[in-house]
Amino acid sequence: MNSKSVYKVPNGKLIKISLKYSDKNKQILDLRITGDFFAYPEEAIEILEKKLVNTLLNEKNLQQKIDDVIRENKIEFIGLNTEGLVTGILMCLK
Amino acid sequence: MSEKWRYLITENNSAAKNMAIDRAVLVANSEGKVPHTVRFYTWSPPAISIGYFQGLSEEVDLKKCKELGVDYVRRITGGGAVFHEDELTYSIVIPENHPQIPKNIMESYGRICGAVMKGLKNLGIDSTYVPINDIISGGRKISGNAQTRKLKTVLQHGTVILDVDVEKMFSLLIVPNEKIRDKMIADVKQRVTSVKHILGKYVSFNDSVNSMKQGFEEEFNVRLVPGSLTDYELDLADKFEKECFANHSWNHKR
Repeated sequence: MNSKSVYKVPNGKLIKISLKYSDKNKQILDLRITGDFFAYPEEAIEILEKKLVNTLLNEKNLQQKIDDVIRENKIEFIGLNTEGLVTGILMCLK
Repeated sequence: MSEKWRYLITENNSAAKNMAIDRAVLVANSEGKVPHTVRFYTWSPPAISIGYFQGLSEEVDLKKCKELGVDYVRRITGGGAVFHEDELTYSIVIPENHPQIPKNIMESYGRICGAVMKGLKNLGIDSTYVPINDIISGGRKISGNAQTRKLKTVLQHGTVILDVDVEKMFSLLIVPNEKIRDKMIADVKQRVTSVKHILGKYVSFNDSVNSMKQGFEEEFNVRLVPGSLTDYELDLADKFEKECFANHSWNHKR
């Protein structure tokens, strides 16, 4: 399944999610996070997108995985946060 | 004695060249080969720059760009799409451990935007910094800014809108729904202003650049000494232009 969402992070920026997922397993197959937010270092967004592949599409799993990647890669988001990403991704299922 | 930084003016470069120069100065400064630098520049032809994380074809009407002779480029900084036509663009390159630069990224935005605000004040315009990355005057945006930190060096670039053609800008950007194009144009007209609109007269790049330069000198208590790009920077800029900013795979990567 392919799906897209657009989500304005409260007090932050606009994120657009393009998601390819397995409807059967509710698992991410591919993910693209675009928008007018800031992330340091910038290239870490591609790491985050790759590492989210195979993650189950539920709040707990997504949150944990995103927080892990942020910590491991010392990512600093501005105008975006884990909650915003989780919300944007899960909006694709609606 | 105040510290001396380099002051550059480079006019009428392409979008790819402008972004390549910013990156070249960042690299050269990180290697200690050139002084800390404030550059003011213009774009020719007019161009749209998109933020690092944006989808090019999601944001920009590429066919319309071609039709109107407008360039486009992906920046190495985050943030939104900007139409660069009648504006003064600045960039500042400085090590992230410089005492004048707060370690905290948000605080450093505020500090550098302070220089832009002092520049605007010198032009007779009162303005306010609105986090994350805007400067507003009379409640409307007059400047957008974007920062990256690479090689332990800060690059922040941003705009001061001298005059704006909102209809033209929107003809070049993708709007989510054609039915609301007119409403979006009306909204943006309410939210964006320009030096011309505020002062009631047009001020050119050449007539505004000295005020902006003084704004940076005042904010950072430095003297900006006119200089030029070194051969090393010019070579680096050529390389970055070819390999990155003028390259299809870079601009279309997201």
